[in-house]
Amino acid sequence: MRRFCPDFNVPRRRLSISLLALMLLFCATQSVVADQPPLGHKMNPVEPPVASADFTLPDMDGESHSLSDFRGQVVMLNFWATWCPPCRREMPSMQRLYAKYRDRGLAVVAVNQWEDEDLVFEFTGRLSLEPTFPILFDRESRVAETYGVKGLPTTYLLDREGNVRFVAIGGREFDHPDVEALIEGLL
Amino acid sequence: MKIASITTAAALLVTVTAGAGDEVATGVDAETGLKSWKWEGDGLGIELLQVPPDFIRASYARRGLPDTVIEAVATRCVFGTIIRNISDRSLSYRVADWRYTIDGGVEKPIKTKSEWLEEWHGMGVRFSWSILADDPTFAVGDWIQGFTTMAEPHASQLDLKVVWSIEGEPYEKILSGLQCAPPPAVD
Repeated sequence: MRRFCPDFNVPRRRLSISLLALMLLFCATQSVVADQPPLGHKMNPVEPPVASADFTLPDMDGESHSLSDFRGQVVMLNFWATWCPPCRREMPSMQRLYAKYRDRGLAVVAVNQWEDEDLVFEFTGRLSLEPTFPILFDRESRVAETYGVKGLPTTYLLDREGNVRFVAIGGREFDHPDVEALIEGLL
Repeated sequence: MKIASITTAAALLVTVTAGAGDEVATGVDAETGLKSWKWEGDGLGIELLQVPPDFIRASYARRGLPDTVIEAVATRCVFGTIIRNISDRSLSYRVADWRYTIDGGVEKPIKTKSEWLEEWHGMGVRFSWSILADDPTFAVGDWIQGFTTMAEPHASQLDLKVVWSIEGEPYEKILSGLQCAPPPAVD
């Protein structure tokens, strides 16, 4: 019997082709994820800090959220998609970070690229640690373009005034002490 | 030169040929026969994996891309590509500077993401995440992944010259003996 990847009508036997995970683009299997580059934990400073651009996007329930709604909080702004293996890998660490710091003023906003609520709902339901932070939908990547995102995942760390202070391109372990130290410094 | 076999969590058996020093490590997926190449040096990590045309067709179709877009990519030689900054400084590359040769012939350019997107935007297609970013600058620990595409038939063999710089200091590496994914299998 031919097996299929749950997200795409691609024969799974053809999806397990990667030692490297370059299957990259659209459907990650466990073996693929296992062979991706290790997740780092360094976020790099943006010098000088730049003011973040406001945007308004819908969440899973169709309710609109603006970035400016979070002004006054430290914001981790993450651009991601379910088909992006490092995005999938880093999300639980983002939830752990959020759980640890949300009461002290950390907001996490995950901006999904090109996908719909049903797919993301199914994906988050399969995670060992389901995100409780808002997931917004940037269906034509216009917000990502505004932020100059060149690849997924890309994550920005904004201070309480809405300035972009740190950035990471590629997957990270966000609950690492190095990232937590940055958060502590901004809170 | 050593030969090692790695069994992944998904029981995927892969044969890896790891070269010493400056050599490129090659891998063959035991299940599919698809090949991969990996090299690290001078602050750069690069991994390439054959991407078969039927995978491209299925994954692009899933995103509703028009047939003209799908076939334009699927009929080319495509490698999934991961680029990592493994230096302790800023790393930049421009895909426009990369070249490949076949049988020692004339150097040919790679069609860049910007060139693809210019075509696609003209057709009203805004999906932009599959092709490797063409001119990023990576801070320490950053990495990215995407397709690189060459206008060559499936199964072609080629040498790829990768060019990058670390804080302005130029480097290049020729990855020899790359082979494009084979044409679709006949079921």
